[in-house]
Amino acid sequence: MLDAGRHPNIEVLTNSELVWLDGRAGRFKATVRRNPRYVSEELCTGCGLCVEDCPVVVPNEFEVGMGARKAIYSPFAQAVPNTHIIDRQNCLNDDFLVCNNCVSSCDRNAINFDDTAKEITLDVGAVIVATGFDVYEASAIPSYGYGLYDNVLSNMELERVLNATGPTHGHIARPSDHKVPKTIAFIQCVGSRGEGKEAGCQYCSRFCCMNAVKDCLLVKQHEPDIEEMFVFYIDLRAAGKGFEEFYQRSREMPELTYVRGRPSKIMEDAETKDVIVYVENGETGEVSRLRVGMAVLSTGAVASASNPGLAEVLGLDLDENGFFEVETKYGSPLHTAKEGIYLCGCAAGVNDISDSVAQASGAAAESEKFADKLPDEEKKREVKEIDVSGQPRVGVFLCHCGINIAGVLDISSLKEHAETLPNVVCVEESLFLCSDEGQGLVQEKTVEHQLNRVVAAACTPRTHEPIFRDSCEQIGLNPYLFEMVNVRDQCSWVHSRVPEIATDKARDLLRMGVARARHLQPLYKNSIPIDRSVLVIGGGIAGMYAALELEAQGIRVYLVEKEDRLGGRLNTLTKVYPANLSASELARTMDKRVRASRIELMTATEIEGITGFVGNFDVSTSGGGFKVGAIVVATGADIYTPTGEFGYDKWENVITNQELEAILHEDRQIQSAAGGKTPATVVFIQCVGSRDPDKNAGCSRFCCPTTIKQAIRLREDGVNVAVLHRDMRTVGAKAEELYRQARALGVKFIRYTPERLPRVSGKGSRAEQVEILELALNRILTIATDYVVLAAGMVPDEQSTGALHEFLKIPRGADGFFMERHAKLGPVETTTEGVFLAGCVSGPKDIADSIAQGSAAAAKAAAIVSHDTVALEPTTCVVEPSLCRACGQCVEICQYHAPSLVQIAGGLQVAEINQALCKGCGTCASWCPTGAIVALHFTEDQIDSMMEALLTVEA
Amino acid sequence: MAGKVSKTKKKTAKAKFVPNIVAFACNWCSYAGADTAGINRVQYSPNFRVIRTMCSGRVTPGHVLKALKLGADGVLVSGCHFGDCHYIFGNYKAVEQFDRTKALVKTLGLDERRIRLEWVSAAEGTRWGEVIDEFVAQITTLGPSPLNHKPKSRK
Repeated sequence: MLDAGRHPNIEVLTNSELVWLDGRAGRFKATVRRNPRYVSEELCTGCGLCVEDCPVVVPNEFEVGMGARKAIYSPFAQAVPNTHIIDRQNCLNDDFLVCNNCVSSCDRNAINFDDTAKEITLDVGAVIVATGFDVYEASAIPSYGYGLYDNVLSNMELERVLNATGPTHGHIARPSDHKVPKTIAFIQCVGSRGEGKEAGCQYCSRFCCMNAVKDCLLVKQHEPDIEEMFVFYIDLRAAGKGFEEFYQRSREMPELTYVRGRPSKIMEDAETKDVIVYVENGETGEVSRLRVGMAVLSTGAVASASNPGLAEVLGLDLDENGFFEVETKYGSPLHTAKEGIYLCGCAAGVNDISDSVAQASGAAAESEKFADKLPDEEKKREVKEIDVSGQPRVGVFLCHCGINIAGVLDISSLKEHAETLPNVVCVEESLFLCSDEGQGLVQEKTVEHQLNRVVAAACTPRTHEPIFRDSCEQIGLNPYLFEMVNVRDQCSWVHSRVPEIATDKARDLLRMGVARARHLQPLYKNSIPIDRSVLVIGGGIAGMYAALELEAQGIRVYLVEKEDRLGGRLNTLTKVYPANLSASELARTMDKRVRASRIELMTATEIEGITGFVGNFDVSTSGGGFKVGAIVVATGADIYTPTGEFGYDKWENVITNQELEAILHEDRQIQSAAGGKTPATVVFIQCVGSRDPDKNAGCSRFCCPTTIKQAIRLREDGVNVAVLHRDMRTVGAKAEELYRQARALGVKFIRYTPERLPRVSGKGSRAEQVEILELALNRILTIATDYVVLAAGMVPDEQSTGALHEFLKIPRGADGFFMERHAKLGPVETTTEGVFLAGCVSGPKDIADSIAQGSAAAAKAAAIVSHDTVALEPTTCVVEPSLCRACGQCVEICQYHAPSLVQIAGGLQVAEINQALCKGCGTCASWCPTGAIVALHFTEDQIDSMMEALLTVEA
Repeated sequence: MAGKVSKTKKKTAKAKFVPNIVAFACNWCSYAGADTAGINRVQYSPNFRVIRTMCSGRVTPGHVLKALKLGADGVLVSGCHFGDCHYIFGNYKAVEQFDRTKALVKTLGLDERRIRLEWVSAAEGTRWGEVIDEFVAQITTLGPSPLNHKPKSRK
């Protein structure tokens, strides 16, 4: 959020809405209404004095009503922009007695009660809809008593309760008596997967299962004395990378019991305020009445209430659930019926964080085709650089920040102290140092006193250092000669009750800052050239999408595929759910588009080696070598081959989903043993080789929807179908609807547990029947069958994943798939800069998710290669060769592969740090046994000088 | 609030001893968490001074020992929670460094409770205050470091 707010090319318009959109892709005219904030974003420094003075206290929406806020407020602690807003509904200024407390508390005159809504018109090339979802209102289910009983919470409320910054500071307390509950029940699918009157939505909200699993672990962490927790669920849908493993870990907690069953009602013990849950155990049929201290309703997601209005403005349709309708003819989840308008996240249906992030990048890639390119950064005015070779001349600037600092700290005492410090030649103060006047003062005094180090005692460098650095640079002072002392956020604000001690502390901090400033050295940004082309490895759906996106942006793309044709796994499929798109048609269209484009297509080609780094990779293949600036890895995965499970090797009619897909692909009929006279029977067995710690511990996510898709197809042909499963995990877009459709068509779903696996028996070369323990009946059912179909999951493609792991140094997870940079926030990025992942190479995915990742990886790669050069942050690590003994420890510990050992004269080796790869964390500098590595801007001298200034009392 | 309570206690029980604590905080999580404490106006003990580094992995045993040698009564190193490190595994390296530091501190005959490694995220302003309060209370109980030859006189 902060990154977006601070980005020079992103203008964030909060408190605003799109009211009209005209034109077409590439030249939209968007009319945006900016609603009044009553606080000037430009003038407000976010100091919060007005909040303290505001007398109105109302429930805080961000804390789901559990905390309080004032009528003038910032929505939450890290909100962007860092300013306030007035809630006129509750403000007393509209009363007959005008309060005006906020106006009188604001030294910057930022408050304007005459502020009105303004409409602005923007010229834009494309529109991305990322409006998210609303939380299902649980009070709509009266039998659960939400809103009626004190100790029935929603999962969103529990999230805030568990949060260290939340209303209870992370302490779990029952709203009724503020005591820690001994027992907690989680009730899943509240408002999701609904049937009947109190239904809510029919779809699966996807994230609530994992949310409950996570909350159980967090509850235990926060309150180790918790005695019992229950999760009541229908199917536990841990369908995503690493989710199943996480779920299994939660099962190891002795306090936690998973109960399959949907509670029928919840009551309250009026005296103790305990919660009574009535539930039938779906496995044993036992009806129980369970008393718990607190119940948490896992409320699902519903379409945002703003969707209908926005859909009208955009001229788009909504689906039956109120989400934006996806144009499925491209197979991509990002497209709408209108060119130039794209969807991501929960605007088009329920998604979890990592998929939302991938879709966001994908939507950005799609939009780039229609967006104007920003002109290259203007050449900065040439200014003569201030010479810093002589003695340090330090200027100290003290900010009052209104009364935020000056109201607590004794500024004149700080000033006196600063004047006594070595090399300090000028000390100035300012009411608001970050204002234009304040910055002008810094520049004026720097010139006047020929300062070559500037120290500001003000707020935090994390938000304000860039402003000061800019001001320094403008007058020719190297920006790295500026030092900031945090006397507000980490001093006056947090020790306001002890002003004298706080002033002592500020004096110390100032002395430390000046000492450090004296040791600062000028640093210069280097730039490295970028090769403006991209290598895409793998010609499956993800790779083709990535290549086409890049090509559409005018980037040179090499698409390398090891097979002799494009399409990858798409070639083995018939129909692609949920839109029932023909896979072969999709493959054909994509193939045609790739061949018609300017993509350098290399089929039947293997990668033989890759060296280099971001912007400058050298690639060698069986078809020749070339240079690229970025790489997209989209080599996919393999399907697990059963190793004798359920008689797979023994009987010819025990096949996998994949093999059935081939039969359906060729339009062959499924015949019964009686030769077509009676309808055939097919039994599916789910989770073969998946969710099994000895094979693949994870859930492959795509097999449940695949089975359902095939079951529907067979059922339509009149075939009897039974699906034996552990949990039906139909979490993707529209998958739950397909599951519902399959049940309506008469597909039988029977649950099994890993302790009692189904048994397949047969004669000769054919399996004849499947036996399964029906849990609710506690009876063995015998199903005579013509085919047994095993839902085999996905495993890493050992050959290509292994080879690329060698070349690109991308780490592999415990499951063997490539690891993303961040499981949630960086789903297509890797720890190797300039290398991105798309599709199943990082874990099982369906077609839509693979496409979204293909587009996302293209956006990330394009961001790198759309510049000729890249400026490198100079706060990196460098090696002093005369001290290096080439032990190689830095090479070993660096996650970015920045250090390497190089040959120098005399056959010696030394470490060298690639400045393009170094992120400047300084860990290698701390590790280096000889002190050969210097962490620039955080050198030993600089750190030591601060400690000395603090601890050495000068006589 | 907690800070205030411990402070009054301190003043009655341990007269005059005000510990000198150096706190190394990583830029991305702990330093940001300390800023969040400010935004939320969390009130906690002022008896520590922060030195910002980019990563907790930057802090060497040498830094900690130098602080102790110069007379610090306690040293705190604070980084990101596991899995949150801006530099992926820098905080794991911080753990390794810290284990070495601990061994050295013991060898020097100092109480290993004088040094502490903590994880505070950018959102955990309250936690930052609690960590500081707890550590200040602990160092106050331990009393001045034997290396603190020049107890600082407050002006």
